[in-house]
Amino acid sequence: MSEAIQAATRGAANDAKGASAEASDASLPEIPRAMRCAARGIKKAFGSTPILRGVDLEIPEGTFAVLVGPSGCGKSTLLRLVAGLEEADEGTISLADRDVTELPPRDRDVAMVFQSYALYPHLTVRDNLAFGLKLRGTAASEIDKRIEEASAMLGLAKLLDRLPKQLSGGQRQRVAMGRAIVRRPTIFLFDEPLSNLDAALRAEVRVEIRRLHDRLGATTLYVTHDQVEAMTLADSLWVLNGGLVEQKGPPLEIYERPRTKFVATFLGSPQMNLLAGRLVKENGAVYAEGGGVRSRVDDERFKSELDDGREVTIGVRPHDMFLAKGDAPKIAELKVEIVEALGSEAFAHGWLTSSGPTVIARLDAADARTVKPGSVIPLGAAPTSIHLFDAATDRALA
Amino acid sequence: MKHLRALVTLIALVATIVLPGCSEPPRGIVLWHPYRGGEEAALKKGVLRFEAERGLKVTVLAVPYEAYLAKLEAAIPRGNGPDVFVGPHNRLGEYLLHRLVAPVGDAFPDADASLYEPVTVAAITYEGERWAVPLASKCGALYYNPRLLPEAPRTLDDLAAKRDFALGPGVWPLAYESHTAYWHSALLHAYGGELFGAPKPGAAEGEAKLPPGFAMTGDAAERSLDKARELVTTRVVPDEASGDLVKTLFTTGKAASVISGPWLAGDLEDKVPYEVVPLPSIAGVGAMRPFLTVDGVFMTPEGAKSEGARALARSLGDGVSASERAEIGKQVVATRSYWSAQDDGVAAAALSPEAKRQRKLLVAFHEASADAIPMPVSPAMNPVWVPAEQAIRKVLRGDASPRDALAEAKARYDDVMRAPPREAASPAPLVVVVGLALLAAAFAVVRRVRAPGFRRELTASKPAYKYVLHAALTILVLVVLPLVAGAAMSFFAGSREDARFVGLGNYVEILTARGKPLLSHGSFYLTLLVTVAWTVVNVVLHVSIGLVLGIALARPVLRLRAIYRVLLIIPWAVPSYVTALAWKGMFHRQFGAINAILVALGAEPVSWFAKFSTAFAANVATNAWLGFPFMMVVVMGALTSISKDVLEAAEVDGATRWQAFRLVTLPLLRPTLLPAVVLGSVWTFNMFNVVFLVSGGEPDGTTDILVSEAYRWAFARNAQLGYAAAYAVIIFGLLALMSKVLGRIGAGDAKEAL
Repeated sequence: MSEAIQAATRGAANDAKGASAEASDASLPEIPRAMRCAARGIKKAFGSTPILRGVDLEIPEGTFAVLVGPSGCGKSTLLRLVAGLEEADEGTISLADRDVTELPPRDRDVAMVFQSYALYPHLTVRDNLAFGLKLRGTAASEIDKRIEEASAMLGLAKLLDRLPKQLSGGQRQRVAMGRAIVRRPTIFLFDEPLSNLDAALRAEVRVEIRRLHDRLGATTLYVTHDQVEAMTLADSLWVLNGGLVEQKGPPLEIYERPRTKFVATFLGSPQMNLLAGRLVKENGAVYAEGGGVRSRVDDERFKSELDDGREVTIGVRPHDMFLAKGDAPKIAELKVEIVEALGSEAFAHGWLTSSGPTVIARLDAADARTVKPGSVIPLGAAPTSIHLFDAATDRALA
Repeated sequence: MKHLRALVTLIALVATIVLPGCSEPPRGIVLWHPYRGGEEAALKKGVLRFEAERGLKVTVLAVPYEAYLAKLEAAIPRGNGPDVFVGPHNRLGEYLLHRLVAPVGDAFPDADASLYEPVTVAAITYEGERWAVPLASKCGALYYNPRLLPEAPRTLDDLAAKRDFALGPGVWPLAYESHTAYWHSALLHAYGGELFGAPKPGAAEGEAKLPPGFAMTGDAAERSLDKARELVTTRVVPDEASGDLVKTLFTTGKAASVISGPWLAGDLEDKVPYEVVPLPSIAGVGAMRPFLTVDGVFMTPEGAKSEGARALARSLGDGVSASERAEIGKQVVATRSYWSAQDDGVAAAALSPEAKRQRKLLVAFHEASADAIPMPVSPAMNPVWVPAEQAIRKVLRGDASPRDALAEAKARYDDVMRAPPREAASPAPLVVVVGLALLAAAFAVVRRVRAPGFRRELTASKPAYKYVLHAALTILVLVVLPLVAGAAMSFFAGSREDARFVGLGNYVEILTARGKPLLSHGSFYLTLLVTVAWTVVNVVLHVSIGLVLGIALARPVLRLRAIYRVLLIIPWAVPSYVTALAWKGMFHRQFGAINAILVALGAEPVSWFAKFSTAFAANVATNAWLGFPFMMVVVMGALTSISKDVLEAAEVDGATRWQAFRLVTLPLLRPTLLPAVVLGSVWTFNMFNVVFLVSGGEPDGTTDILVSEAYRWAFARNAQLGYAAAYAVIIFGLLALMSKVLGRIGAGDAKEAL
């Protein structure tokens, strides 16, 4: 974003602070009114290390937005900026049409669930829940009502008089959520709230969080590095990388149409297989060739970018590959090294060429029994499931 | 094998304790002395000559003056002390009390009486016996700066004429330690008064004896105090000048004359020109007469039996030794032959200018000693100083008339010297109290032992007991036994030599304020009130300053944090008595830094130790300075254990910085702070150093806390060790109770938090 536009954005935001009602006549990039949370041109550096390098974020009312990305991508920093726990170097943040860029956390009306839960160790569960309300001068009867509601919702009723140290990890997690819920904030902020739980509990609480969200209809910003959480929870998924938004949208759309090689590999487990190759036109059809793969590509999707001889990276998700039986068209042959049988399905690890990278393909559970390490198996994949990325820019062809 | 090793360890341990006590008895005559430098060299020269002449072996041992009396007391009764020793005559009373000396006999035959200056002979004569061979004397004289005073001042009025800084800005005509009884007595003697009653040293047998005691009463004493006050109020003399200050004023030319002893000359060197003359007289009254101390050679009871030892003592007093001590040791010798030689001008011509100057100085002090009053020797003299000094200070400050102040001082002296509690008729009450305590203890032990699992716990932790055994033994020997001995001492009254069992008499006296009103001056309850106020104020200050600074230093945004941290911990690292003395200096009325700042800001200088409130504040300021780093460090440590997330959670929950501190940080600090508060309270409750060194109980003992009061009973008031021990036991009980109560609060708290 150029300096001029940033300045203009800030100007607009400042106007909005003064008179938010008439701030709609904009030729400037205006914050849409329906947005519960919006951030514009956020930049933030710690010392000389840039963390966020110009991020825009928009979360419509009632949306469950998830920020996902690898460690150090800036997702937690962005969340803390929204909470007001950090100050942005540049850019504006507004919550419910109110510019909060300069406001301290207490004036932002946000609630946050911390990774460590951050319960007040010296207060009972009840007092933990009531803390924020008391500070805001909420009437005692109202506090009791809200605590009752929240504890019923979260199954905390029996724990209200305990201290945090007397609770299990899952219970603490629920208290932390309860503390946010009773506040009825503009937006819920979650900072990797499940990473201190064991795997089974994590799956359980994950569902619970989504259920709560659906029930409360609360606007939520959720940070995680776990793509399963990201995929399952999000209405709107924001993939961050290197301080920039790499791609945003509904999770399935991102999964199916990753716009960059990074997004393609970040989402999906096991990772998408990537092979260097090029495009070849034959008989009016276009083929992607390289690394032992030769597959027709769906020209509808790629529009006009399918130039003959273009250098590309070919991407195929393991789940999109199958054992080509009979006369089904095969795109490659895999020399199998290991077969991981998971019961419901299996993954074959191996190589397509002697010098190529490891490739993973999904097998049906039944086929897993017949495929032995050392054997060579034919693999098929639908042309529509092939992803193509420009070899130079790593951007998806579109 | 294991047992062998234990046995060897035990033997080694016993040997280290016992062996020094039974080292081989030294051979020949043993001489102890506290001298250093030239005095020591001169003494040794005399001893060497004696050895050569008599063919006897003399072992000379220099013992530091600070420990001198204690060493004599420890060594002589056990038979490994000296045969003869050099010491000041005014300790004679104590020497006699502890049976450290015997009359010198033929070391000082009647025939020798004319050899020594009469005043020194008087000093070492007590109850008709001569107890030492006089060597040299020390007394005060007037040093004056000839640049400021071309004429030697003869009278106080000469000096008073220069008042109001007639000699220059900030130049005092005269400086001396006017608030001390020692130096005030020169004035007192001028008016014919006395600090201490009969028996006077040198009093002839049969002369009517007054009971020894506080004698600073009556017209002469009052007039002397009026005069001292006049000198201060008319700005002839600075008030509350310490010895150091007197010296500094003189060397910097800010005092035209000072009254001090021969030791000052050594410090002056060439810093300032000076002359020495006898003390000035007071017109129409008489000469100021300082106290005189005579160093003599004393004989221990064992040494007095040895002809060699007696001969040694006698030879040290002879003319040759005396002139050596005068020339090399620069002492004002007691032997007359040296002085008559000076009068004759023998060999004076051949002297270097420096030696001439030296001799002139000696002659001046010798002249001054002729009029001096030998210090009384009775051990009952000791309790005189403190009340006398309190009276002098009170008068100098203008807080009381001389008559009232002296009457009060006399009453205090009498209180200190009061008859000890009646010998306990029967030990029954004590037996009942101690018996009940033992019964309660036994009951507790039995209950504990009979508790299920006790035996199992005991056997299970057997190895643990082995590991802590040596520490437990050490604590038993170093802590528990002295504690028990101290507690036992509290059932006795009187001095060490004639301690009498009085049962709970001391406690009864303390708790009934010795029959006076419960909140009267110096009563246990008043002191307790002061102590509690002292503790509360200090701990509150320590904790709040420690909190503020600890939190400030924990802020990550603070630059140069490490430097501040070190700077703020420094008060803790400096020994507390050094800090206390520095603060005392800063609170000095005329020369202290704090008053200098006040004056620079246009305020009136404050006489800090003249009023309870300001003296207490000065003590508190010093102790706050000493105590906050500990709390700060505790807070800093405790803060690191508070998760940053919790504070951020509070911030998001809507807390202001202050609310987050009050509602989150502070409650989370509590479990760590409480034990620190308990410790701090105990330390402060017993903070002897600050109270003793800064205010010294001033004004008038009102800022004394229990522990300094106990100290005074033991060391400043006729050694009433039993009474002091009873105080100590009461303090111990109070502190044990306080720790228990605070600890219980802390335990309840710790259960809640974390």
